[in-house]
Amino acid sequence: MPLLEIKDLKQHFIIKKGFLGEKKKVKAVNGVSFKMEQGETLGIVGESGCGKSSLGRTILQLIKPTSGEIIFSGKNITHLPRKEMKALRKDMQIVFQDPYASLNPRNTVRTILETPLIVHGVGSRLERAKIVESLIDKIGIRKDQLDRYPHEFSGGQRQRIGIARALTLNPKLIIADEPVSALDVSVQSQVLNLMVDLQKEFNLSYLFISHDLSVVQHISDRVAVMYLGKIVEIADVEELYRNPLHPYTKALLTAVPLPDPTKKRDRIILQGDLPSPTNPPTGCAFHTRCPVATPECKVETPELREKVMGHWASCIHVHPEQSSKSKVNIS
Amino acid sequence: MDALRYTLKRILLMIPILIGISMLTFFISNTIPGDPARLAAGPYADAKVIEELQEKMGLNDPVYIQYFRYMKSLLQGDLGNSNYSHQPVMEDIKQYFPATLELTFFSMFITILIGIPLGVISASKKDKIADQFARVLALIGVAMPAFWLGIILLLFFYLKLGVLPGSGRLDTGLAPPETITGMYTIDAILTGNWTVFTSAVIHLILPGITQAAVTIGMITRMTRSSMLEVLRSDYIRTAFAKGGSERRVLYGHALRNGMMPIMTLLGMTFGHSLGGSVLVESVFSWPGLGKYAVNAITYLDFPAVMAVTILIAVLFIIVNLVIDILYQVVDPRLNYE
Amino acid sequence: MLLELKNVSLSLKRDGKYVKILDEISLQVNKGETVGIVGESGCGKSMTALSIMRLLPEKAKLEGGILLEKEEISSYSKRKLEKIRGDKMAMIFQDPLTSLNPLHTVGRQIEETLILHTDLNKEQRKKRVIELLNEVGLPRADEIASDYPHQLSGGMRQRIMIAVAMACNPSLLICDEPTTALDVTVQAQILDLMNHLKDVNEMGIIMITHDLGVVAEVCDRVIVMYAGKIVEQAEIKELFINPKHPYTKGLLDSIPKLAMKKTKLGSIPGMVPSPDKMPKGCRFYERCSSAMEICREKTPPMNLVGEEHLAACWLFEEKEGEANASSRNKGLEATLHH
Repeated sequence: MPLLEIKDLKQHFIIKKGFLGEKKKVKAVNGVSFKMEQGETLGIVGESGCGKSSLGRTILQLIKPTSGEIIFSGKNITHLPRKEMKALRKDMQIVFQDPYASLNPRNTVRTILETPLIVHGVGSRLERAKIVESLIDKIGIRKDQLDRYPHEFSGGQRQRIGIARALTLNPKLIIADEPVSALDVSVQSQVLNLMVDLQKEFNLSYLFISHDLSVVQHISDRVAVMYLGKIVEIADVEELYRNPLHPYTKALLTAVPLPDPTKKRDRIILQGDLPSPTNPPTGCAFHTRCPVATPECKVETPELREKVMGHWASCIHVHPEQSSKSKVNIS
Repeated sequence: MDALRYTLKRILLMIPILIGISMLTFFISNTIPGDPARLAAGPYADAKVIEELQEKMGLNDPVYIQYFRYMKSLLQGDLGNSNYSHQPVMEDIKQYFPATLELTFFSMFITILIGIPLGVISASKKDKIADQFARVLALIGVAMPAFWLGIILLLFFYLKLGVLPGSGRLDTGLAPPETITGMYTIDAILTGNWTVFTSAVIHLILPGITQAAVTIGMITRMTRSSMLEVLRSDYIRTAFAKGGSERRVLYGHALRNGMMPIMTLLGMTFGHSLGGSVLVESVFSWPGLGKYAVNAITYLDFPAVMAVTILIAVLFIIVNLVIDILYQVVDPRLNYE
Repeated sequence: MLLELKNVSLSLKRDGKYVKILDEISLQVNKGETVGIVGESGCGKSMTALSIMRLLPEKAKLEGGILLEKEEISSYSKRKLEKIRGDKMAMIFQDPLTSLNPLHTVGRQIEETLILHTDLNKEQRKKRVIELLNEVGLPRADEIASDYPHQLSGGMRQRIMIAVAMACNPSLLICDEPTTALDVTVQAQILDLMNHLKDVNEMGIIMITHDLGVVAEVCDRVIVMYAGKIVEQAEIKELFINPKHPYTKGLLDSIPKLAMKKTKLGSIPGMVPSPDKMPKGCRFYERCSSAMEICREKTPPMNLVGEEHLAACWLFEEKEGEANASSRNKGLEATLHH
């Protein structure tokens, strides 16, 4: 049984401009399906506006999905009553991008870490203190720093506190939304190392959302690439980075500047910018920028299909290998 | 086209607001104790006369009938007769309102001319002497009661030096110009009567400055804080990086970007002044709307109160609309939606 | 040589007292050369750029010499500076949306540089604006010139910023994190454009970035900064293949690389000291894995550690002993006048 299964999830926002303005629909998440296992890290990459953050928030139901199903530990949690949802939140936590904004500046670290335990009625006062102290030890912050306020810590320390807060309730799944994007490289690596260590220790699953392809590659077991609200490609991390199938993934991968001046790559430079998600192109949403687009791409909406074993892509120009007789539905 | 459609839309939206305001004023005024008929009839009238008058004025009908009757004549441009001046309220307003309008325009003119540059200088010379000076000046302007400043100015320029007149809109003996707009200065220009024009302007100076003192203070402070925020923006740095001089950056880039909150405040003070500043008008015996309103309330002059309230509401809505349209002229990011 | 900074120090007033943000920065940029300045937030790389442009906050104390085309510009008056800003030296900033005036059309913003520095008449300026828009790869230049920044995408806006900077063919272009706010695919477009413009215009470029990938992509030479000081500089390949300073090594080890799945990334413990509490000796001392006794006491000098390769670290103190300042400076000059 997978830990998390998402079926055709949609998140459409209505944007209304002004008092008498027209309504516009933003299809932030537009039919996303995937599964992830306990202990796995699924990376979600994509450029701004591709819907990766909305996906994370919708899975946590911080925003109710427009349609589709979210199945967590075999239980459909899409329409749970509030009380049950609260109990479930213990198992799913989120780490935000900005450690400055996501920690209440008026609370001490102790309070920040203890609050989730109190809210969910965990343990006695003493037991809670114990949990907090053992957590703080794991993230490399000293006990005597517990009564300090967030502003007294550096960016990296704050993000580690944010991670510790997510861990207090012993969750199964952590949705990490750009957790290291606001950090400098040397600090970023500290936080990534910590996340890997914690994953091993607690058998955590990460849904790791990021725009940074090298960070995603470093931490993920599988990677899904999103473009305008849809997954265009999903595969094991090695497979995806070695053998990208979708033209968008190919362009994305070659676009990343490598920190190695001795290697020069043939870069696929895409024309133009991301179209607006309020008005996505017809057919394949990528056809306006795709170097291999044909007239059919304008009309035909490609489906996510298994092209190679365990490697799914949604492009009509990528043909499944003869050997793998793939089916249409997601395995 | 977009701008026109937007404006029309906004004007149509005014209708329900005005109906709401008129209803509210009408019903609230009706619950206030005091009998207009008794007041109109005078203190020595006997009960029978009052009763007849009540019947004649329609005061015995249900309130909503009275309201509909009022609205019907309002739409025909009839605001009823004042119980105090015994002439149509419309005539009263035609007489008093232009005086207030003229004073407001004049004081707003001074405000913009002094307040905005003072704020800009204050922001660009932050913490330097010019800034300290402007800030103290602004603080004094805001903190000082208008009537007190008015009296001081009156004592000094009128009584002591005798260089400026202290009351009214024209020198005694001068006949007002032919009524076109009702504003003496403008009418004098239109009819080419320069003696009247000079006299009208001179009479505007003291009440104009008094009324402007407070708003200058507010506008200076608002301009300063708005400009300080704008001056921190990246595009200001870009403008300097291009080689722009301080003057060019301040007035060519920063001021227009800082205009939004200034415009809002200007609109609000403008709308407010149009209702007539009772204190300033009293100190300088300025025959404006503020004085008229106070009289109307004191004498329970119901038609006059109604008319003034509706007039002020309409003016506020119009000023707001103008400001909203100006926003869009200033900032292309706000489209007509 | 196009630009030379000689012992430039900068102090800014913070909470009533002066704090040294830049400490004795010396660097050179040649014509047609792209020099990268890398470092983490707060290392002073942006302040170095703003010092060259002299776009500093009020009450900034700038010391040392800044020579642009052999002219000492650090003593220029306001008026004289205005003449060369946007003309001889231009700058591109990180966030193209906030760096463009939202209330002016982009055409007008490009034109402004021309108004300030050329005698072109209105017609000629209009022509030049269209030309520039085409040069930075914007089709439909006519239409775009009358658009406002908010009507354009992030990548287009950065192209506009480049057009503004390129309007008068500056000899020095300073780019402060020009692609950080952009998506990868758009970043690729902009880097491509910059490489192209560099080839065409023979200008010197200073590329300030925290992204070592961007540096590897566009720079000829790299300067690494830490806590307001230059710690290492070298030719691009040399720096990546053979980094000397422990900080540079740590930085390079921290980047997640291909084919290194879930192995431990290198990281640098601790954090950057704050500018008002700088240690006496080497500023990297507390975080350095190879720190020695001398590092705590004395600031390390710039040592020649390879061909055209300098590092400020006691590990590489010239073996001949009494390496005095003058011989070091000779070494430095020799390396840079190749």
